[in-house]
Amino acid sequence: MNKTFRFLTLAIVIALIAVAAAPNARAAQTVNLVLMGWSSSPSENERLQKIVDDWNAANADIQVTLNQVPDYDTTLQKSLAGGEPPDVFYVDSFRFLDLVRADALMPVGEMLTNADDFYPSLRDAFTTNGQFYCPPKDFSTLALQINTEMFEAAGLSAPTTWEEMRAAAEALTKDGVYGAVVPADFARWVAFLYAAGGSVTNDDFTEMTINSPEAAAALKFYTDLYLDGFAKTPADLGVGWPGEAFGKGLVAMSFEGNWIEPYLKDQFPDLKHMAVEMPAGPGGKATMAFTVCYAVPMKAKNPEAAVKFVDYLTGAEGMKAWTDLGLAMPTRASLREGWLAQFPNLEPYLNGAEYARKWQFVPGFQAVLDKVNEQLSLVMGENQTVNGALSEIETIGAEVLASR
Amino acid sequence: MAVAAPSMGKQGGFRLGAKGQESAAGFFFILPALIIIFAFIFIPLLSAFLISFTNWNGLQPPAEAAGVGLANYSRIFGLDNTTVVRDEFFVAIKNTFYYTLGVVPAQTILALVLAFIVNQQFLRFRGFFRVAFYFPSITSSIVIATIFLWLFNRNGVINGVIAGLAGAIGLEYSPVTWINDANGIIHNFLRLFGLTLRTAPEWMTESRILGQSIWQWISGPSVTMLAIMLLAIWTTTGTMMLIFLAALQDIPRQLYEAASVDGATRWQQFRLITVPMLRPTTFFVLTIGLIGCFQVFDQIYVISQGNPAGTTKTIAWIVFRNLRDSQAGLGAALAFVLFVIIAVFTIVQRRMVGKTVQQ
Amino acid sequence: MSTNTVVSNLDARGFSLPPNIGKIIRTMLTYGVLILFALAMIMPFVYAVTNSFKELPDIAANPMRLTPGIRADGTPYNWTTIGYDRALNNQQINFPRAIFNSFFVAVVVTIMRVIFNSMAGYALARIRFPGRGAAFAALVGTLMVPGIVLLIPRYLVLSQLGWIDTYWALLVPYFADAFGIFLMKQFFESIPREIEEAAEIDGASRFRMFFVIILPMAIPALTAMAIFAFQGTWNDFQGPLIALNLNRELYTLPLALAFLRGVTGDAIQWDLMLAGSVITTLPMAVIFFIFQRFFIEGVSYTGVKG
Repeated sequence: MNKTFRFLTLAIVIALIAVAAAPNARAAQTVNLVLMGWSSSPSENERLQKIVDDWNAANADIQVTLNQVPDYDTTLQKSLAGGEPPDVFYVDSFRFLDLVRADALMPVGEMLTNADDFYPSLRDAFTTNGQFYCPPKDFSTLALQINTEMFEAAGLSAPTTWEEMRAAAEALTKDGVYGAVVPADFARWVAFLYAAGGSVTNDDFTEMTINSPEAAAALKFYTDLYLDGFAKTPADLGVGWPGEAFGKGLVAMSFEGNWIEPYLKDQFPDLKHMAVEMPAGPGGKATMAFTVCYAVPMKAKNPEAAVKFVDYLTGAEGMKAWTDLGLAMPTRASLREGWLAQFPNLEPYLNGAEYARKWQFVPGFQAVLDKVNEQLSLVMGENQTVNGALSEIETIGAEVLASR
Repeated sequence: MAVAAPSMGKQGGFRLGAKGQESAAGFFFILPALIIIFAFIFIPLLSAFLISFTNWNGLQPPAEAAGVGLANYSRIFGLDNTTVVRDEFFVAIKNTFYYTLGVVPAQTILALVLAFIVNQQFLRFRGFFRVAFYFPSITSSIVIATIFLWLFNRNGVINGVIAGLAGAIGLEYSPVTWINDANGIIHNFLRLFGLTLRTAPEWMTESRILGQSIWQWISGPSVTMLAIMLLAIWTTTGTMMLIFLAALQDIPRQLYEAASVDGATRWQQFRLITVPMLRPTTFFVLTIGLIGCFQVFDQIYVISQGNPAGTTKTIAWIVFRNLRDSQAGLGAALAFVLFVIIAVFTIVQRRMVGKTVQQ
Repeated sequence: MSTNTVVSNLDARGFSLPPNIGKIIRTMLTYGVLILFALAMIMPFVYAVTNSFKELPDIAANPMRLTPGIRADGTPYNWTTIGYDRALNNQQINFPRAIFNSFFVAVVVTIMRVIFNSMAGYALARIRFPGRGAAFAALVGTLMVPGIVLLIPRYLVLSQLGWIDTYWALLVPYFADAFGIFLMKQFFESIPREIEEAAEIDGASRFRMFFVIILPMAIPALTAMAIFAFQGTWNDFQGPLIALNLNRELYTLPLALAFLRGVTGDAIQWDLMLAGSVITTLPMAVIFFIFQRFFIEGVSYTGVKG
């Protein structure tokens, strides 16, 4: 018995050492690439897989594996830290500057076919230090969703200003339905901040400008909808996100990006609804543009193959195949008309692109984002005043800007 | 494999006097475990310690990061006159403290009481009760968090049960949004007496201590945190009850018999025999409870991700957040501060539990 | 025992009810409290299991019902296994494979941990060798290390070894743990030395002594440790979170479940999530009911030793 055990133990220890020392051998005939993204709706996942399959069928020398991972930020971070990042991966505009600062991205934007065709504002979101790093794969803007059935029943038309929207919210709050759904989320409230004529920082990100009367008006408007009882948060309604509340008919209005459209079509095919541009505030119309790019890592093993693949994805053909879903909008100006002809009802989103602000600040701004969400939630819980919230946000923001 | 060589020698050639062979045997026995712990705990721990003195962002191999001396640590404690990191750290301290203060005593006392009840001699179905109480402990924290997330949904079972009970005694219950309610429970209590942020005296709301006003410090755990605390108590009580039960059954009956012969009352027996005999077990239960509480992470990851309004940010959670969000050096430093806090509390608790029982 | 004590004490002082009625009340109170707590412990699972067999709108509308409810138009909802279907045939996460992975990892880790921990525990308890004190002190220190500290650095070590996204990373780091070594050390210290001395006189080597004589005596402690190892590995979340990055074929059940939520997005699909929870729990629950005695004894054992 002891001999067997001894042998076993020895064998295991030796095996461990052998495995530890074994080189990580890999055959390299065809180039294998990994495309990493986050997973979203099933229809989106399937479509991307199909686009990748088409590529693989046409390019025997460059085979791509699509990996749509959950908990994307952690996964990407671990890959980069381990020195073996995926060959192509998504980067959100908000996170872009962090990655550039860490020297994690290769500037490949200018290597692509007809790079000037991308909308300047979207190119700009992925350009820093004069270099265009990665091409935007698509973009979305915020618009106001209205439940047309409820609006018609109340004899209301789609609101175009804050006053009209508030009046509509008040009128439609009845019979267990609320006027609107307002998440405690910077990415929604910020559109109101801009519409009020306010701003988060100055143009060159040296100073916080959020503690202003305009910002106070925006914060008060947004949170008063809630405090006056005309709006609820998603959690209050027992749902996971605003789109779900809207789809279920629990609210008459919601502020979401175009990703809500295929979701509503899939899950709530009978819902009668339409998108209109975000209502104008005292400072005029404003919306946010959210965009994501296909990035190639600085440490790419096969940069040429990766760039070639990215060029396909964001080229006229690949992007058309991708945006045909109506989930997100093409980032190439040349595809605009074709897309619009296909999705006329989504025009408000595309119109928003003309005055949309980019969802990007400075590296490390995540801390400010967290703070804003926290303060929104506190104001909505009557545990914080509007001015108190803004001054807290200003303090933390100033420090982040200073430490840049 | 040289260390293993003596084992290959002639069987039975061992003598106690042969010191060298004895040492070789010792090494051989401990080596596999030691290699594992060295490679997968010590080396990572050491690298985390080194990383805590760098500005590593976690997005490049750590060798490329620059050393920053004690900067991460001084940011945590606000010694460099910045407040962002310090304030978040002390919010996490506050949240973790309330969490621990609620969970540890509740689970310990509940476990002790249940153990006494189950230990009664006339009790039948003891096996069933033990299995029922222990069952939650065998379940993955991820499963439990998922199920609780569903139970505590606004339109969920918990609100349904409370509404049913309230209705039975003729009360109105407006459902609580458990998963997204940032209101502190002490604040909610004070509100019953008309004390809110607006009516609180100025000294409570104006001056700041480590980034928060006194009013904010005394908030208590938020309603969402309370739900997570209930989850923790629900999961661990069963295990702790079993541990107490075993300890109770381990007390020799003769001790009680001898004491009653000496004329000790039942109360004296409880105080002089049961309590001291349970002391090591109580310490054990308190220690594992405390360490578990300070490290709470899985449940936060699944249920609240630090929300709402940062009221479920615990120390372990902000460690994770910083590791993920390009501040890995700072995250590592925070992790070491957490390590020191756990060590200090464990030692202090050992002293305190030791003393009170001796008196 | 003490509740006993206190109550009968009250009886003795005579300001209580006649003994019979007192006893009945005490019995009812005892069972009442116990049943209440047992319900509190079990009902969440009952709700989760029954709802996992209901249709999605039914779960949302009638979570309190343990059977399918009635639609607004008066027609009844049905029992369904669609949640299980969607979990087991998920395109993003391979649940059947995750069940296998969880079993494989838990079994291998348990076996190896039992061997390595008991060997180390024995060395610390009985064998004199240079550095024993240092090795012991080092082990004590690791008990207080918060798991989260190791998240990134352990990933770095594993990636240096080339083990990320392989079974090695799920297995090897867990082949020994300080808690188990302590448990074994304490157990071996409780064995009378005379047994070993007798064996020595017979000329047995340390190895024979350990594997043939000592280890069989340690079955209760080994069982306790094996159970903790199995349970801990089965339920572990942070370990697989560190070990795996892009290879979803190696997901264990808790990781698969945690990520299922990410897959479905913000609008949580509860039929899927509840079914996933049941699938994750069921194998462990079956093992628990078969070996419940060992589980209970195992836990009791640590407490006494602790």
